[in-house]
Amino acid sequence: MKLAAALCVGIICSLTFVAVSGQSATGSALPDWSGAWVMEGPTVFDTATVQPRNGRAGDAGVRESPPYNDEWEAIYRKHIELIKQGTFPDPISTCGTPHGFPRMMNVPDVYEFAVTTEKVIVLAENGPNILRIYTDGRKFPDAADLWPTYNGASIGHWEGDTLVFTTISMKGFSGKDVIVDRTGAVLSDASRVTTRMRKLDAMTLEAQIVVEDSKALKAPWQVTKRYRKQPPGTWAWDYACAENNRNPVSSGGKTLTLGPDGKPIDKVVD
Amino acid sequence: MKSIWLVVLISAAASLFGPTTALAHHSGAMFDREHVVELKGTVKELQWSNPHVWLQVVAAEKGTTKEWSLEANSPNTLSRQGWRSATFKPGDEVTVRFNPMKDGSAAGAFIGAKLADGKTIGRWD
Repeated sequence: MKLAAALCVGIICSLTFVAVSGQSATGSALPDWSGAWVMEGPTVFDTATVQPRNGRAGDAGVRESPPYNDEWEAIYRKHIELIKQGTFPDPISTCGTPHGFPRMMNVPDVYEFAVTTEKVIVLAENGPNILRIYTDGRKFPDAADLWPTYNGASIGHWEGDTLVFTTISMKGFSGKDVIVDRTGAVLSDASRVTTRMRKLDAMTLEAQIVVEDSKALKAPWQVTKRYRKQPPGTWAWDYACAENNRNPVSSGGKTLTLGPDGKPIDKVVD
Repeated sequence: MKSIWLVVLISAAASLFGPTTALAHHSGAMFDREHVVELKGTVKELQWSNPHVWLQVVAAEKGTTKEWSLEANSPNTLSRQGWRSATFKPGDEVTVRFNPMKDGSAAGAFIGAKLADGKTIGRWD
């Protein structure tokens, strides 16, 4: 009886320890990424190379320097020209599809990170977007069992306090409905992204993102994003994009503005 | 409608007001970021909705009235900046500043507003 009681206490103690401290499968404590976070800087994916400096995504002539091959550099330049003409719509204007990965790490509003022993879930308020990163030791499905999706498939592991995860099977620009950012940068459906994410200090999370793309890039594209912790008690809210979307896109790629009656205000639609 | 509308096209507005903070779910190509319009009118409605809050303002123009649709950020972002769903109420007299549409239609990207009691919302440098 005493042995049974001791075993029972031991099991309870073990369960309690796991629940409170968030033990990983390897026994090391999981980091505390609780709270709400906001990306630092503008929604330019690669702020290190953006020209002009401090240029905003979507403004005419703003570009980054992804290590594109000639074919994809030409595609990027075409998009930059369309932006100048106001006819490069943001695919998310439909309010029907996610931003896709890696763009979802580059959006405004609040992020939350649910860190558990079996997975990390990234919740982006804007969109909304959800990224599931499985850390339970599973492998990617066989290629025949995968299909391209907006956020792809992610598996990861912990190296100390750093989450290292790889994301594959993303749609990229294959369906014309996922971009990297509003400068017109895009990736192919062959892209593969490795992300190293850790807490630099109590107020800062950093994601070092390395994009490889055998179709579009000559070399890995390395980008660093940082996220700032928000005041305690910050809420994340619904982002029901279709609730009152007054900005449809015309067949010519022009983003329209609807009046309160639902009819275009624009003097020229196409 | 007693409200009058004062439209001031301010060149090189960026140097006066800086870039607007609207984070649209769409291309901002329709907005003229180089100019700011200041308009005095009456609030018809605040549409507190995603993906954008819309402030509907009615202003006098050439002996009649015109309704303007001013696009602001999302309720989520604005609520963290102090806005509430009742920040603007129908009938409020208000002066608003916004980046106008390039094609001259009655809409724009909200920058800031000043209510009759002097309270300001958004950017009012």
